[in-house]
Amino acid sequence: MNLFTFSYGIIHWLVDLVNHLWYWLGDLLPWEFGDFFDDVGRFAASDAHITVMAILVEVLIIVIIALVNVLNFIWIDRKFMGRMFDFYGPYYVGYRIGGWLQNLADGIKLFVKEIITPAKADKLGFLLGPIIFVGSSFLALSTIPLGRDFGISTNASGAGVPGSALIAFAFFAIAPFSILICGWSSNNKYTLIGGLRSAAQMMSYEIPMLLTVASVFLMAGSFNFTEIVDAQHDVWFAIPLFLGFIVFLVCLVAEVEIQPFDLPEAEAELVEGWTTEYSGMRFGLFMMTSYLRGYIGGALATALFLGGWHGPALIPDPIWFLIKAYIVFVIIEWMRWSVPRVRVDQLLNIGWKRLMPLAMLNLLIAASLKTLGWF
Amino acid sequence: MPARKRLNSLGFVFRPMKRTGKQVWESLIVGKPNTVLYPYHKLNLPPTYRGKHTLDFKKCIGCANCVQICPNDCMWMEKLDDPELGKIERPGIDMGRCLFCGFCVEVCPTVALHETVEFELASGDRDKIRFGPKELRDDSYAERIVEERQKRAVPVLDLDKCTGCEKCAGECPEMCIAMMPIESVGKLKPEIALPKCTACEKCVVACPEKALTMKDMYESYFEMPEPKFILKNCTGCSACAKACPADAIYMMDMPGTERILKDGKKSKPKKRAVFVMEKCVGCGKCFRACKFQSIEMPGVKK
Repeated sequence: MNLFTFSYGIIHWLVDLVNHLWYWLGDLLPWEFGDFFDDVGRFAASDAHITVMAILVEVLIIVIIALVNVLNFIWIDRKFMGRMFDFYGPYYVGYRIGGWLQNLADGIKLFVKEIITPAKADKLGFLLGPIIFVGSSFLALSTIPLGRDFGISTNASGAGVPGSALIAFAFFAIAPFSILICGWSSNNKYTLIGGLRSAAQMMSYEIPMLLTVASVFLMAGSFNFTEIVDAQHDVWFAIPLFLGFIVFLVCLVAEVEIQPFDLPEAEAELVEGWTTEYSGMRFGLFMMTSYLRGYIGGALATALFLGGWHGPALIPDPIWFLIKAYIVFVIIEWMRWSVPRVRVDQLLNIGWKRLMPLAMLNLLIAASLKTLGWF
Repeated sequence: MPARKRLNSLGFVFRPMKRTGKQVWESLIVGKPNTVLYPYHKLNLPPTYRGKHTLDFKKCIGCANCVQICPNDCMWMEKLDDPELGKIERPGIDMGRCLFCGFCVEVCPTVALHETVEFELASGDRDKIRFGPKELRDDSYAERIVEERQKRAVPVLDLDKCTGCEKCAGECPEMCIAMMPIESVGKLKPEIALPKCTACEKCVVACPEKALTMKDMYESYFEMPEPKFILKNCTGCSACAKACPADAIYMMDMPGTERILKDGKKSKPKKRAVFVMEKCVGCGKCFRACKFQSIEMPGVKK
């Protein structure tokens, strides 16, 4: 049973229950209403309605899982960073569960704070930037399956959407555009510099990243996440394409804009860069979404290189997937709190002079492995 | 100094990661972080920490040296009626003005004042951080801590018992006891040169009247002002002897000063003050008590 049939069954059962009540209500009322009650009941029980509602339930489940993971990620980040710098990290809010509730407390605080729009800001762009940023990041979740039967893009037959990996990367790459909108419309020199830096960074790191992803597509022979993961049943792609995995991780860090490559929101030089003018829950959304993008990055690395949900059958498939995503995230966080921020020229040098040739080399390795017939 | 090993770009990433990984191993898996969770856990403070003061009522002699030396003028003497000790004067401290310099503790000649490790003194009310002597009182504190101050045993004279027999001066191996005549009294008084004294206790054993006793003296960082006595101004009123907290001043009769009264009887002889400098703590109370300019004390305010 996959996620779609599960939610289809739930909706079917709910519709049956509600229809019983609906027809009982219709029997109580005068007979003139009979046709209307019949039409509504028949529409509710129709296959199209139940399918749409089932997809909505799927989306709800996946988004809730993603948000819980985001809370976990923020907690892991703070706790891990604290232990790395020899202090406790969050401790008192949620004392029994290691300070886990601190994120919720911070969220409530951000909700209560005032949202200020600068007087000289471009109001439409200022409002639209966060919406595009958050929306595109959530959309990138849509095609990433947590297991063979556990994803939004699975239908009743169990096959995923063709080209689901391409869609995920497309949505993942929209964010710098919205960052540029935010930076421009805030009408502030720091935000503008942050936005333009983000654009430059995206330009130089999107290409090596997609080249490594292309090598994975070449090895798997498909654009579909399910088939890519199935192709890694024997050997994870991280082993033959180790070079590509490293390049992918570095590009991922740059795409998610975390620490060695967080030039767009450099705290010391640009006072939080493009988020300078955002206050209250808008900033909270930015922060939450940056961790969500960390989760998406971990999920992408897991699905493309680390064998997805493959593992000993002792643990269910989605849990395997999440464990691997968490490990990738922890390694990224480890790098984040160890390494200082690079300069702009160093950033572009690393992107174009180091990662680009390495990605080409990786593509060459993938092509030769495929030609030799080993995969 | 040898040149540092050149790192490639991977080394720039992995070397810091190794360091932070070691830190995580130390603070998450093996041990605990370095932070002290303050309201629940507290640091073990050293015994020389300067916190709230305590006062040993039995050791304190009420000389007010601490009040005089306080640079912020935050101490005062309070008159008390203690059931054990009778009428006494003891210092109180305003913690709102105290700068915790520790001068009062250092100057105390009997080491009755101590600074504890207690530092949580904040209060919403200013009157609550003015500690009177009763709030500072802790008579057993000195027994619980290791005394940091240098102390040494020194023979101290009780002039009431002394007969001037010169046995102590004859016994002293260091020749530090000299018999000095007290002017216009006609008696001899042993004066002990304390820097030479080795605390051999031979003089104490030799004294037939048991006028010499060994006492612990604490060495002070501060120079002690000494009273200078001017005999011709003294009227023998004994105000200084009553004021002295250390019992270092004795009133002695001056023979040959009796006047013949109208009814033919002799009056009582005039008295004069005699100072035993081993006991003096240099507080200047005698100087302030004297109304006839008979005592001078350079360096002490009237």
